Amino acid sequence: MRFLRSFVPSLLLAAGAAQAASSWGFDDATLSVGSKKADSSVKEKFSDKSLPKKTVDFGNTDTLKIILTAKEGGKAKRPHQAFLTLQETETGLEAPFVFTTKESGKATVDIKHSDLPVQLLKSTKPLKATLTLASFGSSTGYNNRIFDVEIRKDPLAVPPVYEKPMRYGKREEIHHIFKDDPKSPPKVISLVFTLAVAAMVPVLLIGVYFCSRRQRCPSAQGFLECPVSHGIFYGSIIGMEFVFYMYYSSWNLFQVLPVIGVVGVTSLLSGSKALGEVQRRRLAGER
Amino acid sequence: MTSLTSFLLLLFTAVAQAISSSGSRLLVVLEDVAEKAHYSKFLGDLEGRGFEVTYETPKSESLSLFHLGERSYDHILFFPTKAKGLGPNLTANLLLKFIDAQGNILLALSAQKQAPTAIVAALSELDIHLPSERTGLVVDHFNYDVTSADEKHDVLLLPTPGALRPGVKDFFSPATPNDEVIAFPQAIGQVLGNGALLTPILRAPATAYSYNPKEESEVLGDDLFAAGKQLSLVTTVQARNSARLTVIGSADMLSDKWFDAKVQKVDGKAAIATVNREFAKRVSGWTFNEIGVLKVNSIEHHLNEEGQGNQSNPKIYRIKNDVTYSISLSEYEWDHWAAFKVPAEDDLQLEFSMLSPFHRLSLKPTVSSEESTTYSTNFKLPDQHGIFNFKINHKRPFLNNIEEKNTVSVRHFAHDEWPRSYAISGAWPWISGIGATVTGWLFFVAIWLYSKPAGKGESKKNR
Repeated sequence: MRFLRSFVPSLLLAAGAAQAASSWGFDDATLSVGSKKADSSVKEKFSDKSLPKKTVDFGNTDTLKIILTAKEGGKAKRPHQAFLTLQETETGLEAPFVFTTKESGKATVDIKHSDLPVQLLKSTKPLKATLTLASFGSSTGYNNRIFDVEIRKDPLAVPPVYEKPMRYGKREEIHHIFKDDPKSPPKVISLVFTLAVAAMVPVLLIGVYFCSRRQRCPSAQGFLECPVSHGIFYGSIIGMEFVFYMYYSSWNLFQVLPVIGVVGVTSLLSGSKALGEVQRRRLAGER
Repeated sequence: MTSLTSFLLLLFTAVAQAISSSGSRLLVVLEDVAEKAHYSKFLGDLEGRGFEVTYETPKSESLSLFHLGERSYDHILFFPTKAKGLGPNLTANLLLKFIDAQGNILLALSAQKQAPTAIVAALSELDIHLPSERTGLVVDHFNYDVTSADEKHDVLLLPTPGALRPGVKDFFSPATPNDEVIAFPQAIGQVLGNGALLTPILRAPATAYSYNPKEESEVLGDDLFAAGKQLSLVTTVQARNSARLTVIGSADMLSDKWFDAKVQKVDGKAAIATVNREFAKRVSGWTFNEIGVLKVNSIEHHLNEEGQGNQSNPKIYRIKNDVTYSISLSEYEWDHWAAFKVPAEDDLQLEFSMLSPFHRLSLKPTVSSEESTTYSTNFKLPDQHGIFNFKINHKRPFLNNIEEKNTVSVRHFAHDEWPRSYAISGAWPWISGIGATVTGWLFFVAIWLYSKPAGKGESKKNR
């Protein structure tokens, strides 16, 4: 049994080897590229032993034509499968073109730009042309790259439009914001200007003092005459500034308004008395 | 007796566990019920996995896909039939309605029997095209089985499919691929449209082609149906409602004969066993929702800011809030829910969108358990108020579609939520300006009130 098991495959192998002796190939191949009107078509003869070496230029008015004789084990014969496959090298997309075969093994194929799918027409790199010759039975098929085709497009024509079909998968990330957060200038600059502004206060005081010391001098006379109303009046002015500070730092409008009312009335009442006293002094020439 | 009952109980639980995630009622349509002996191993595997199989012929009058508007079966398996049509109970329209009702269909075709018109019509609705006159045999003179198809080359030997493209999980190859082959006898090829819902599992090799054995046995005609990788041999469609339909180009590959046949490659030295049984199990398992099924367990989003409330799934956020979003997912694997793992080159993406997405972010796995994985991300909401959606739209080949939408309002800053002016360094000169004005005003009032002319003679002029 064991013998049989090992024997059967080897027998098959032997049979396979015997059959594989014949294989498909071709001869008398002609490749011609050109338009019918102009006779400047490029012709090149080749066979399965000497393949075209150059990249074939395939213009937009050209016809790419291959005539060859398919052979099985050296004898001319018609194969069932005779394809020229053009393949885009980047995506691997391919387009097969079927040869018209005759009983004698002679096979022809014509390809025009209009026969090519858009994806291949748009290709920027040379296309790979593969020849496949095979048939039923035990002969080994022929399946090899035979040359490269460079597509030459009409520079004046509108390029073919091709939209890649939608495929489900990961999409690119989006991080969209309309406007960046506002930014402050460097802190040093802000500090310099802050200090400059703050320094103006003593400058102002010293300036006022030096400009007016000949004409005016401080006097507490008014305060001494009616200290209550003066004290309350000046206090209410400071108090008003304090209310504004509280409004800036923590209070809301409803807390601020009644306090402003109270402080305002206070300054009105105390002010009428205090300012009346100031007016009296002025009329008396004491101010 | 007790041991017998416990054994039966054990068997029952085993059967009850191993079951599809979307029901177990399976209808098998055959030309003749006796034909099931031909596929006994495949059908036995299905029954072993917990499907309740009903066998019917297209002629049967009791056959009905719907009962009172509801599906009578969860899944349908078609084997090739001889008749041209499938009768009034299985029209193309009914099959499409069955898919609309989230039923799954596995379709086995063969090159030896013409595909019924109902099936051809249903497939062309889905943009899957069969050769004209519904016959076409795929041959490959380079990859055939030497032992059984030495002359005709119509038993294709194909490698296991592998991943469709990077980032797609490979459901259909053995766990450790080791040059196994799938025997694909008497196959009919399909050509697919460009839709995103169509996905081929198995394509023909580059040298394969399809021809009409009746008319083109000697010479190929001018109109080649398709060749090479354009020929799909096993095709899947997953509709938008995640209903699945699979077309297997060769019913024979499911038969007992090919399940454990020995085949030999053209240049192979020894006969090797096929992996048809494993492949058939995976393809049928995928079609009948046993693998590749995702489930959302929970979705949670909350504020991710210090000193703020940590309420789950609030209805409203403010612009520029930092927010955490997490979603927990499970994947069904034959008989249980397991943790879902996103393939290496793929991402689970969250969109934060109002009409169009403002953010599209990849979620990262944070918590993983045996039954689920939680994916989450932190991000800052966009600077635009309105009604937004947290949206997960995970559509991938071979996985059911996940579409989840959670709506939240995003409001403006309230007037007291802006930063205070002293916190902005650019405002410092202006604030100190106010301070200087206030100080100046107080001094002015003091000087105005409490000063007198230095010389008594000149009184008003200097004021």
